[in-house]
Amino acid sequence: MSEDMRYLTFALGKGRLAKNTMDLFEKVGITCEEMKDKDSRKLIFVNEELKLKFFLAKGPDVPTYVEYGAADIGVVGKDTILEENRRVYEVLDLGYGKCRMCVCGPAKAKELLKHHEMIRVTSKYPNIAKDYFYNKKHQTVDIIKLNGSVELGPIVGLGDVIVDIVETGSTLKENGLEVLEEICPLSARMIVNQVSMKMEAERIKKLIQDLRAFL
Amino acid sequence: MSSKQLVHTPEGVRDIYGEEYLKKLEVQNLIHHKIKAYGFQDIQTPTFEFFDVFSREIGTVPSKELYKFFDKEGNTLVLRPDFTPSIARCAAKYFMEEDIPIRFSYVGNTFVNNSNLQGKLKEITEMGAELIGDASIEADAEMISLVIEALSATGLKEFQVSIGEVEFFKGLCEEAGIPEELELNLRDLISNKNFFGAEDLLRSQNVKESYITTILKVTDIFGSIDALLEAKKVVTNARSCKAIERLERVYEILTLYHVEQYVSFDLGMLSKYNYYTGVIFKAYTYGVGDAIVKGGRYDNLLDQFGKHSAAIGFMFVIDDLLAALSRQDISIALKEGGTVIIYQDCCIENAITLAKKMRSENKQVELVKGNKNKTTEQYKEFAKNNRIENIICMQTEDYITVTNASTGDTEKVSLKSLLEGNQ
Repeated sequence: MSEDMRYLTFALGKGRLAKNTMDLFEKVGITCEEMKDKDSRKLIFVNEELKLKFFLAKGPDVPTYVEYGAADIGVVGKDTILEENRRVYEVLDLGYGKCRMCVCGPAKAKELLKHHEMIRVTSKYPNIAKDYFYNKKHQTVDIIKLNGSVELGPIVGLGDVIVDIVETGSTLKENGLEVLEEICPLSARMIVNQVSMKMEAERIKKLIQDLRAFL
Repeated sequence: MSSKQLVHTPEGVRDIYGEEYLKKLEVQNLIHHKIKAYGFQDIQTPTFEFFDVFSREIGTVPSKELYKFFDKEGNTLVLRPDFTPSIARCAAKYFMEEDIPIRFSYVGNTFVNNSNLQGKLKEITEMGAELIGDASIEADAEMISLVIEALSATGLKEFQVSIGEVEFFKGLCEEAGIPEELELNLRDLISNKNFFGAEDLLRSQNVKESYITTILKVTDIFGSIDALLEAKKVVTNARSCKAIERLERVYEILTLYHVEQYVSFDLGMLSKYNYYTGVIFKAYTYGVGDAIVKGGRYDNLLDQFGKHSAAIGFMFVIDDLLAALSRQDISIALKEGGTVIIYQDCCIENAITLAKKMRSENKQVELVKGNKNKTTEQYKEFAKNNRIENIICMQTEDYITVTNASTGDTEKVSLKSLLEGNQ
């Protein structure tokens, strides 16, 4: 490796996503021993040999880091990419973290989605909800942003339906809700900074090709 | 509003002052100098124009991101979101009959009402050039070469100009019989390099398998000139082949300018809008997340204003370029600082005489009336913060000192030597 080679920096969404990603990266020869140390308080993990840096970030921040070039490459859920709408290249569907973005609510709310009457939607994803109702369904909606336990919305009467990620649907069921409409399928994606893609074309291209072979 | 709140600027706009602004002006100077050297004439267009000049058919900024307001007659006016439509309008208005190429260059601020909290400014400075009435490959190369020379002039070393041809992709779509709406969606995905998304979309629309393979393969081609050779092997339709040949010729001419080391090709570089008609290019460097120069050929735009004429242009995003220079620790050489004369009441005549003399020698001089409550240290601090080199202190006619603000050295001098000397 040449001395003056730049570090390629990866921003990974915290949690299961990061673990799955490192497992996949290991298969194509990208490792980071520092990261396996559970007690480490480091924020940035380095692989000096391959000139790679990794850091963990909150999901919604990953596209931001990548857009501004603070990270060259990011791994994050499709839901975040849609919600944040940043100028980044979305180059790979990594296949894991599969789930669906859905409109959910009590069974009786189904009727509300058949007309263009105004309804109230609670969601952690106001942009996705807005895009779906305005541009695809052409229905007027009042969107109420919540930061967690979105399922509460229809239960306590804050909204008529919710827009949220559905993995198994068990949380919904337990709370008397169900999937009413599916907006789009989701999974983990690899995103790349537009400038890095040009300036570090060879290295990033190779990484994408190697990963593709494993997917 | 209390006076404390009055000092804020709205989100997305900001004040630029002091050394930062000096640097900005200097960078603008360096680029402008190169643009002038290629024979471009400066032009100034209004800051706001009729909405129609930037409408969907012509502009590249969605209507909801334009700053709109009304005049007394109820016409909708728009703060310019970019310059090219204005320049095209000017060319059509004043140079309708001209058939020898005309060259315009401009600098000014543009206004886009983009979303909040994304760290983007709503008012940015753009400098650019438009070459109107020249459809040749040589014109394509000239503009790209100018971009490279101007970027080099600012001191930037590591950058890449990525070149594409929109006709290449249009040829592929035409061959595969892809309808316009699908083409628009496809363009979006491919320009985001989202090939798996593009694949899903093409499959869902029952496009023939062989076309899907070709489209996905060739739009993923980017890199050096060899990339074009690779694409040539796969593509058969005449329109796309012609586009590749054009890029090859552009490259040949760029080698005559000796700038080919800064150039790469990207056949997946597409424009979201129908605006561009041929070669398009973007310059990238480290430190900023987007292209610092954008440009391309727009042979149909002037038709909108009634003039049949080819055109090609580019624009530098000055604010982003400055950010890149600063993040790459590239210093911008600034002219030396000025002089401050601090005088007591009794010395007003001498102070003015000296200031007049120094100003006639093109030196920057500011006169400050002495204040007994201020110490020499405070003046030194003031000088340092305001890029002032020398502090001349006139206590009386016989007691004058000169202090060099950076070294702190003070010496006593006579008025005579100051008026005669050339320091």
